[in-house]
Amino acid sequence: MRTGHLSTLQTGFSAIALALLVFIIVVLAGMILYPPTGALVQSLHSAEILFAIMLSLVTSVISTCLCALVAIPVAYSLARGTFPGKRAATILLNIPLALPPLVAGVALLIFFGPSSIGQFLEAVGVSVVFTPLGIIVALFFVNVPYLIRVLRSTFEDINPRFEHVARTLGCSEWRAFRRVTLPLARHGLGAGLVITWSKCIGEFGAVLILAGATRMKTETLPIALFLNMSTGEIELAIAAAIILIGISLASLLILEYFSSDSCFF
Amino acid sequence: MVMLVLTAVNKRFGEFTLRNVSLTIREGEYFMILGPTGAGKTILLETIAGIHMPDSGTITLSGLDITRLPPEQRGISIVYQDVMLFPHLTVFENIAFGLKEQRLSVGEIAERVSAMADLMGISSLLERLPQTLSGGEQQRAAMARALVMCPRFLLLDEPMSALDAASRMRLRQELKRIHRNTGTTMIHITHYFEDLFPLADRLAVMQDGAIVQTGTPEEIFNHPKSDFVAHFTGMENIFRGRAVRRDDEVEIDLGPIVLHAVTPFEGDVIAGIRADELILSPGPFDSTARNTFRGTVSEIQANGAFSRVVVDVGIPLCGIITRQSLFRLGLAPGQEITVIFKASAVHVFPA
Repeated sequence: MRTGHLSTLQTGFSAIALALLVFIIVVLAGMILYPPTGALVQSLHSAEILFAIMLSLVTSVISTCLCALVAIPVAYSLARGTFPGKRAATILLNIPLALPPLVAGVALLIFFGPSSIGQFLEAVGVSVVFTPLGIIVALFFVNVPYLIRVLRSTFEDINPRFEHVARTLGCSEWRAFRRVTLPLARHGLGAGLVITWSKCIGEFGAVLILAGATRMKTETLPIALFLNMSTGEIELAIAAAIILIGISLASLLILEYFSSDSCFF
Repeated sequence: MVMLVLTAVNKRFGEFTLRNVSLTIREGEYFMILGPTGAGKTILLETIAGIHMPDSGTITLSGLDITRLPPEQRGISIVYQDVMLFPHLTVFENIAFGLKEQRLSVGEIAERVSAMADLMGISSLLERLPQTLSGGEQQRAAMARALVMCPRFLLLDEPMSALDAASRMRLRQELKRIHRNTGTTMIHITHYFEDLFPLADRLAVMQDGAIVQTGTPEEIFNHPKSDFVAHFTGMENIFRGRAVRRDDEVEIDLGPIVLHAVTPFEGDVIAGIRADELILSPGPFDSTARNTFRGTVSEIQANGAFSRVVVDVGIPLCGIITRQSLFRLGLAPGQEITVIFKASAVHVFPA
């Protein structure tokens, strides 16, 4: 039996998709509509939430830039280079990806805390543990392998002959990379940066352990949500959650824009 | 005289290898490299361009050792089979790419790009992106991008392979014209032997990463040094002559004899006949084949299951027959014999 042009199978599967969609919307809308609107608007304007927004934006942007600075050369050398130990390097670089963020956080805490390197850094005035700097370090550590992975496949998709031609036209290796490879990688690079940034905004576990959860000091949006939930300040927690949803939606839209193959920069 | 000399160059790169390659290419020459897929032809070009450093051996340009010189300092341009126009740049920006690297003024760049675009007949395409051009137009844009640099050597990696027969013929004439007008030394990889006679001054045949023979096209086709070359070229009988149209067919005057052929070409031509298309008969032989010549066997080379028999009919014609036929006919040097082949067996190329 057919309904319209859809087969029974398609109708059944579409029904599951529709149910899932309704479930997602109801869950999210239910949370947003749960607190009284007036209290929610007030929470969105509260000093604590405004601080969390600022801190999240600043730390995530700095971390994303650091990730890009490191990931571009590393990904390029993994994609193009032939050096001994390339396979081992690839696997090692992926370790933080598979690691639960909490475990990464503990390892970072010990490295920057009681270890001799941590003691030395502390002595010269670089304090990472339980500080905003710790947020940046944690975000970088957890997300840089991810960006390397994305960029590596982007560079691998670019035919090395483009660089060869550029070299014969007078470019040094660096100039060929700058004038040909980097512009050809712009879609992958743009998408990678947006995903990295959005993952930085949402990161919780590693930040919690390394930077702690100090109100108005290391309070990013996810930390604000966690702190206010534990103290029963539902409106503030939901305010943080709404902003996180907004940021997720925005990055999804930007990604959609990149994959639609229109030029961005 | 400027010469590019490769001496005992070895290179391993992925699954490709260059084995002991020694070559001398003279200034102004049109040099072709012929070989099957996987013979290492592209690696050879890239090594000449400086993209790969040889594992051993040297490359010199007018006596100067350039083995370790980076590609940007060699003055050697390359045009790949898959053209490799930069997809993020317009045709104009592609052609201007190398000039911009030389920090020339905007005015001079515009002038040289438009002059080169005129020469290649792509002036109307300068604002387009490469992806919107046809195969032939892309080929010409890539050629313009390489030639605008006034390279000492232009390397062409199978430039014909993406084109249909008509475009191939046009590009062949264009390459000949470019070579004549610019005097650029060309090194051109191909596997079409129609390309050889109109273009090549000399050529090298490659097999498994090694150069197996170097010479003029006639030398190589008429005197293949190995079975591989003979089989790969497939034309053991190559002659220069003058083609004149008579009714439906063309007569090619080779001097001692006149061949009948089917071809659109007239004037100075190269005529090629594959050895396995010759029929040998001890007695007179009546057939529909248009070419019948009487001659004497001058040479027999027994060679496995097949034998090469050279018959002097005024010019030497080489045929291939099976061992059984050799015994059945009882052929011996000095014997009188008839050689027969169809007009369509005569392959004609413009000279």
